[in-house]
Amino acid sequence: MKYAFYPGCVSRGACPELYPASVKVAETLGIEIEEVTDVGCTGAGVLSRDLSDPINARTLAKVEAMGLSSLMTICSTCQGIFTQANHRFKNEPEYRQKINTEYLAEEGLEYKGTVEVKHLLWVLMEDYGVENLKPYIKRKLTGLKVAPFYGCYIRRPTSIIAPKGLSGRKTYLEDLLDVLGAESVDSSGKSKCCGFPILTVNEENSMRMVSDHTGDAKTKGADCMVTPCPLCHLNLDANQPTAEKQAGTQIGMPIIHLPQLLGLAFGFDEKEMELQRHIVSTEAVSRQLEVSIRS
Amino acid sequence: METTFKVYRFDPENGSKPDFATYQVDLPDSATVMDGLRHIRDEQDPSLAFRASCERGSCGDCALRINKKGRLGCSLKIAKTVKNGVVTVEPIRNIPVLKDLVYDLEDFLWKKIKAVQPWITPREPEPEGEYVVAEEQLAEVRKAMSCVMCGLCDEGCAVIKIDKDFVGPAALTKAYRAVFDPRDGQHDERLTLVSEPGGVWDCTHCFEANGHCPLGLEPTDRLFEVRDEAIRQGIRSGTRNPKVQRHYDSFLNSVKRSGWLDEGRLAIESEGLTNIAGLAKLLPTVIRAIPKGKAPLPYFHHKRPGAEAIRRIIDKAQRSEV
Repeated sequence: MKYAFYPGCVSRGACPELYPASVKVAETLGIEIEEVTDVGCTGAGVLSRDLSDPINARTLAKVEAMGLSSLMTICSTCQGIFTQANHRFKNEPEYRQKINTEYLAEEGLEYKGTVEVKHLLWVLMEDYGVENLKPYIKRKLTGLKVAPFYGCYIRRPTSIIAPKGLSGRKTYLEDLLDVLGAESVDSSGKSKCCGFPILTVNEENSMRMVSDHTGDAKTKGADCMVTPCPLCHLNLDANQPTAEKQAGTQIGMPIIHLPQLLGLAFGFDEKEMELQRHIVSTEAVSRQLEVSIRS
Repeated sequence: METTFKVYRFDPENGSKPDFATYQVDLPDSATVMDGLRHIRDEQDPSLAFRASCERGSCGDCALRINKKGRLGCSLKIAKTVKNGVVTVEPIRNIPVLKDLVYDLEDFLWKKIKAVQPWITPREPEPEGEYVVAEEQLAEVRKAMSCVMCGLCDEGCAVIKIDKDFVGPAALTKAYRAVFDPRDGQHDERLTLVSEPGGVWDCTHCFEANGHCPLGLEPTDRLFEVRDEAIRQGIRSGTRNPKVQRHYDSFLNSVKRSGWLDEGRLAIESEGLTNIAGLAKLLPTVIRAIPKGKAPLPYFHHKRPGAEAIRRIIDKAQRSEV
């Protein structure tokens, strides 16, 4: 199956390690992806939906024009915004038609409502099949204690993101960690907000969320956290020192992008997965992986 | 059905610490959690305090934390929630408890609801008879009309958990009710009010509230609609938080210019080009990010293919907002 690929802004900006790690994982697994390049930012929940819906309808129309029916994301926020917008487009044909007529027609585009948008995590668990990953695992992550951190956009609103029949999406990260050989560490905030959306508006609250989540993972004994969202990564990793300062405590919790963790299990080394780019040192992860290899 | 009720007990007057008391209850399968509490009070322990009123999910009085989830006690059957024969009942979280399952809603809910002024201020002189509003004009308002102010959306709110001053989804749902009422004459003033610090922009839009509303009113969606309406009316912040407007405008202008986000410029412009203290606060994060190649160069931001088409879309959408 071939996917149109939407990498999002952050994987080419403040989290440049995410894009190549995702592409390497897709190549390793033989997942065919074609980047949809001439499209815009989803609006990330910041822009009014009056503005972002037509932009996102245009992206989905471009995917249809490529002759594809699936769009793969690597960012939970992009995923969430697309899922919500696509829900409106599919369930409100008059609304979709209005956007087609008012915004897309002049480019000769029309969104017919045929595209499914799926995060890499969903692609692996629903289309590729978790069992089919096993032959590619060159390095079991045995002994590595990983706290999954979903964030909000890939979990809610439940009625749209994880409706009946897809409620398994609530445990995909744990299921995947199990296959990779890692130990899941259950933290209470794993499906809560990381605080990134209010970083500018209310930095104090945002940093409190960071220190709560990373501190809880540390208390529960995690070696690292893994997230499918680069915005969660930005807040939990790049802003962790600020959150530590506000909380008056040292945490030092490494935050790993989901594709990086997959890449490590598929035999790529830390440098190939660009862990050295992270703000919080990932040495604890490397040490544990060395222990796993020796044993 | 034989059930063990573990009920939160606390009486500040006797100086004891909060604890759980255990009661055995045997009620028909149709019994609700509230039936169970009433049975305990009437048959076993008259000192148990709880609130209950309508018994049909219409008053919100019996909002409780039942088996670790915020629920209305009168609308939840024991058989539906019981786990391993046990039902645990506690007051909702983040709120002062007065006695047992009775808590003080004043600061948690009522002050916030009053703060959004959830009453209609007529646009025109009041008619002598009743107000007649066409049904289709009330379609939006009906999405929030049946809110019973139980506070369960606030109970589940990730921001209120850490910041008691956040106005919260319950009050913002009430604000929505007034914002979209065709009779209201304070539309823009109301939108400005909820855009002040602690208001609609402090929401993380994590959609947690939707899962906690017992009536399915989707408070996060209502909040988004209030925010989008404020943007539509050119109100991007209240009078006391200009940073919100700078952030929104910078984000929008970036997408308009290049099709995607100039993250570095967004951080700078959100603080304000002349806000030296704000810009200085960014420095430690930038200094940490530069050697890691994680600080995208601001302003030197290339256009994505398709940027012109996206700019045209935004221009057109903005024209239709006016």
